[in-house]
Order: sequence, then C-alpha cells, then structure tokens
Amino acid sequence: MVRVKSRYLLCEIHVSDPSKLLLLEDRAITAAVKDAVTSAHGDYGAAQCSIGFSVKYVNAHTGILFLRCPKSSYRLIWSALPFITSVERKGRRISCFLSCLHVGGTIRTCQKFLIRYNTQQLHRMLPKCKTQEEKDQVRRAILSSSTYMLKGKEHKEERD
Amino acid sequence: MFKQLEKTPRTVLVCERSHLDHEKARLGTHVEQHFFNHKVSLLVPGCDRLPAELDAALNSMRSFLLVRNLPLSQLLEKEFLDQAVYKGSTYGLSYQTRIDEDNCYALLPNGKLVLSVDKDTYETLGLEGKPSQYQRRPAGRYVVSVDLKDRTMSPGGKGHQRVVKALTEHTPLSCDLLLSQHLPGDESPALQSLLSNHKLSEHRPRVSSHVMTSLPCPTLVTSHLQGEQQSCDPQSFLEWLGAVDAGVTFEDQSDGYLSTYECPQPQTVVDAAVRCSVTGLLLPEDIYHLLDVLRRSVLEPKLAPWLALTVHGFQDSPVSWGTAEHGFLSGGENFYTLVLFQNLDYWICMATGPHDACPP
Amino acid sequence: MQPAVFERVVVKNSPVYQYMKVSLVLEQAQTKLTAVELKHLITTGLKSLYGEVGAAFPFDLLTFEEDTLTAVLRVYSRGLVRLWSSITLLGFFQQQRCAFRVLQVSPYLLALTGNSRDLALDS
Repeated sequence: MVRVKSRYLLCEIHVSDPSKLLLLEDRAITAAVKDAVTSAHGDYGAAQCSIGFSVKYVNAHTGILFLRCPKSSYRLIWSALPFITSVERKGRRISCFLSCLHVGGTIRTCQKFLIRYNTQQLHRMLPKCKTQEEKDQVRRAILSSSTYMLKGKEHKEERD
Repeated sequence: MFKQLEKTPRTVLVCERSHLDHEKARLGTHVEQHFFNHKVSLLVPGCDRLPAELDAALNSMRSFLLVRNLPLSQLLEKEFLDQAVYKGSTYGLSYQTRIDEDNCYALLPNGKLVLSVDKDTYETLGLEGKPSQYQRRPAGRYVVSVDLKDRTMSPGGKGHQRVVKALTEHTPLSCDLLLSQHLPGDESPALQSLLSNHKLSEHRPRVSSHVMTSLPCPTLVTSHLQGEQQSCDPQSFLEWLGAVDAGVTFEDQSDGYLSTYECPQPQTVVDAAVRCSVTGLLLPEDIYHLLDVLRRSVLEPKLAPWLALTVHGFQDSPVSWGTAEHGFLSGGENFYTLVLFQNLDYWICMATGPHDACPP
Repeated sequence: MQPAVFERVVVKNSPVYQYMKVSLVLEQAQTKLTAVELKHLITTGLKSLYGEVGAAFPFDLLTFEEDTLTAVLRVYSRGLVRLWSSITLLGFFQQQRCAFRVLQVSPYLLALTGNSRDLALDS
C-alpha cells in the first residue's frame, strides 16, 4: 500500500476583536477557505479542494488551526489563504485574517514546530517586560496553564 | 501551482544557415525530401510588383490530377508501374483523409507505397507492417510500406501477387487520390490516359497575391542565427511571417486590450511588399525551379535585403521528410521557411509538430 | 567578405507561445459580436473555471473575422491547457447558447495559415 500523502498547513488566525475568537469553529473556517479558493481559482480550484480537504484542529483560545489538504493541491489552497478577510458564524461576520506559519507533511512535525514557535515567542516577549511584577505575572500565567494541563490529566485518570 | 496543466506537446525547430554555394549546404536535399507540399507562400519586401520572371515561375507550377474513388490495386497494374513508377517521379496522396482517424495512403517518388491504416484494416489486409511510432500501446494504427521498385514487386513476382491479392480480395481499399508526375526532359506525363476509365479532374494550383503598404519588417543580420541584439531570432521572425500571412494589423493599439503583439525590434518600415501564395499539390521539382529563379532575382538591388519563402506540407500525409513517419496529435504541422539574403547566404527553418521525426 | 559558414541549431521544446484558431458557434446565427466582446467572453470563461488567477492570465486576440466569427488567439505555452479547457466549457453568451470549435492548435503562427484540411477542389 502506498500512503496517501497530504500536507498540513499550520495557520494562525488574527481577529480584530479578541473576544470574538471564541466564536470560531471548524465548519465556519472550512466554508471561508472554500469560498476563498473558489474566488481565486474558480471551479477548478473548488474541485481540487473538495477532495481530502479538512480543518483538523481549531484552538479557539490561541487562534491556531491545522488545515489538511492533498499534497498535489496544497499550493492552490495556500495561495488563497491571504484572501480570507472574514469568517461568518451564525449570521455574524467576524473580520479576521490568516497567516500561515508552517507547512508540514505530518501533524507531528507541525506540532513540534508549534512548540518551538511558542517558546521563541515567549523568549521574545519576556525581555519586553519592564517591571518585576509583569515578569511574575507571565511566569504565573505559564505555571497556571501547565498546572491546569497537569490537573486535567489527573482528572482524566481519575475518570478512567 | 498548475504543474500538470502547463505541459505542451513537444516540438522541434531546426534552423540552418549557410551560403548557397557552400559545400555543406543541403538546401537541395531539404527541398527534394519534402515530398508533399500544400502551399508555397513568398514574401518580397521592397517592391509593389513581383519581378516578371518570379511571377512566371509561380504561375507555371504544374497542374495535378484528382482521381475519384481509385482502387489502390490500380497502382500495381503493369501499365501504371511502367509509366509512372519506374519512370520519372510520381507523387500520390489520398485527398481529404485525416491521418488521425482515417486510412491515409501515399505514393512516394522513390517508388514506395505507404499505407497508414487503422488496426482493423491492417488485420484484414494481411500485409506486413509496423505499428505506428506514435500509437504504440495499444497500437491503433499501422504503417505498411511497399517498395514498388523492389525486384519481387515486379508484375507477376511473388510479392506483387501477394499485395494485389491483399488489395483486391482481402480488403479492397480505394480513395480519392491526388496525383502528379514529374518526368525528366520534355516528355509529357501519361497519367491522364492511364487512368482514363476513372472519374478524374485536372486542377491548376491556385495563385493569389497581395500588396501591403508601409509594413514594419524586422531587421535580420545573416550571421546572427541565435538572435542577438541587433537582429531578430528565427522564432520571432517566423511569428512575424505568420502574422503577415494571417493578416494581423500592426497598427499601434493604444490600450492593448485585444492584443499586445508588435513587430520585433529593431524594425524598419518598408513602403510596399508583395505576398504571393500558391496552393495545391506542388512538386519539389517545381519548388526547386522557383528557388533557382529566386536566386537570380534576389541579386536585383531594388529589392529589400532579403526575401522569405515558406513551404507548407500536407498535415495529413503519412510522411514528412523522406520516409519518416508523420502523425497529427494537435497540429500535424510540417513546413520550412527559407530566408534568402542578397549575398546568397540563407537561413532555413524546418518545423515539425509533436508526432514527427526530427527534420533532416 | 567573410567566408561562408555552415551552422545548424536545433531548438527543442521551447515555444514561448501557442496559437489557436477557434470559431464561435451561436444558437442564433445572425447575432453579431465584436472583437472586444469576444475577448471579454473568453475572459469570463477563464474566470469561471480558473477564478481570478486564471482571468489574469494574458492572451492575445490576433485576428477576428466578424462574419465567420473565427479568431486567432495567442497564449503563453504554459496557459494553453487552461485556455483550451475554459473555452471548451464555455456555454453561454448573453443568455444564448454558444460553443467554441477549436480548429487548429500549433506552436507556429505560420502553420495556421497553411491548413491543408481546408484544401477544397471542386470538380
């Protein structure tokens, strides 16, 4: 058997109003991407995009998405991403734009890249903190999220 | 992004430059080997009337016959072989058959009968042939080549009987055939009397000429075949010639919405130019004669520094140059363009389509 | 005078342009259209099949005969398939059915002027 090869696009979504970030969900994003591909590449692009294209993962808190598309047509989808200006959800238009961070062959490489990317961002942001208080705040935030994850794990284990 | 959509069929363009009297110049062979010519078009910049000698040469292209519904076995009869195949050179090509869908037949001046037939006909015919070079797997087309000048093909010989049997009993093939014959000396061709019991008509090649005024011409420098700064390269020159033949306007379209085509730089505008074309079944011998006349008339100082002669081959002939197989695919083009300069240097550009061997 | 030389150059697979001879068949044969309308029609076809990226692809309308609705198009080789497929799928001109017939395709414009399939001998 030959593996079906696909490409995973790791994208970050930027929303003008951060409170609306939580409204995002995969179906709305799929529709927005498909619309963008259709307008940029026409019926041919839409057909290429209809097979094997899906939104694998959406993190509504951080605005990170994974898009999966067949290897042969990822350039079509990739080139259409900058033309997305809004996502429609329940009749409301959320204006936003997508930026592609990484293109990988598996979800695993994308995840590795994402961790490295986030560390980098953290290193870049920490020196910007002016007072000790701010630094503490960041440290606490990181700690709280990691302990939250740990706690979550424990909860899960208890349930099992 | 559209990798799989950007492929086009392969093409070959062969350009040669030399002097007419150069020892390696093979102009004669190129003309002779291109057997079936459909159209000759001549562009002479710098005059508003063709020189009388040139005009006469264009008008004296010999006429050809169209024989309706000719059984191919007729070509193997003793009289026909004696009168047409063993003597002089006879050119025969099936008329209005398409090489990509119908059976096509050609009689070459070297005595070869080429049948390009589909698979079903080939299998019922029972003659030895080769699968077409361009439709190999699965072979949908076969090429049968019979050398009529071979010893076994003399009337009554073994090979002759076999082919006659195939063409009369197994599958009686027939077609509308264009025929023309060149005989050395002053002998007049006897084709008409030979085939008098068939419906035939004689046709003269159609001549048409056009005078164009204030035509922008690209500048050509003989020694720059690869296209340098001061000269136009062969590809753009061919494009320009095509544009002249197709009647593209060279006027400056200010908005450029319809077309952005313009004459290649550097250019000179000539006051008048004559474009003359002849269509029909034209023999290489006649074209050779035309070349001789051209050679004399290019020396006339009144004309522009060069003149161009284009000879188009039949798209549906089973051969292009020599006996190389020819196919159609998307265009089936096979033509050559000769540019003759005043110092008797020449360029020849031979172009073939995707289903064709490289020109000689 | 420089000595005569013999030079031979073989150019393979490098046509910059491809040329197409197409004719438009309309449901109502008496409809007239101009060259600008034809070009717009073809661009619309490109846009519907290949989107805005396709519609931005340049091609030239070299000649157009208004009485036979026959045109010669010039297109970059890499856009030939896209142009060809989009005019094949084009079905409407101003709410009337239409179809494009592709008569000849060649990498040489000269070849379009000498089509031996047009050789008509009336007997």
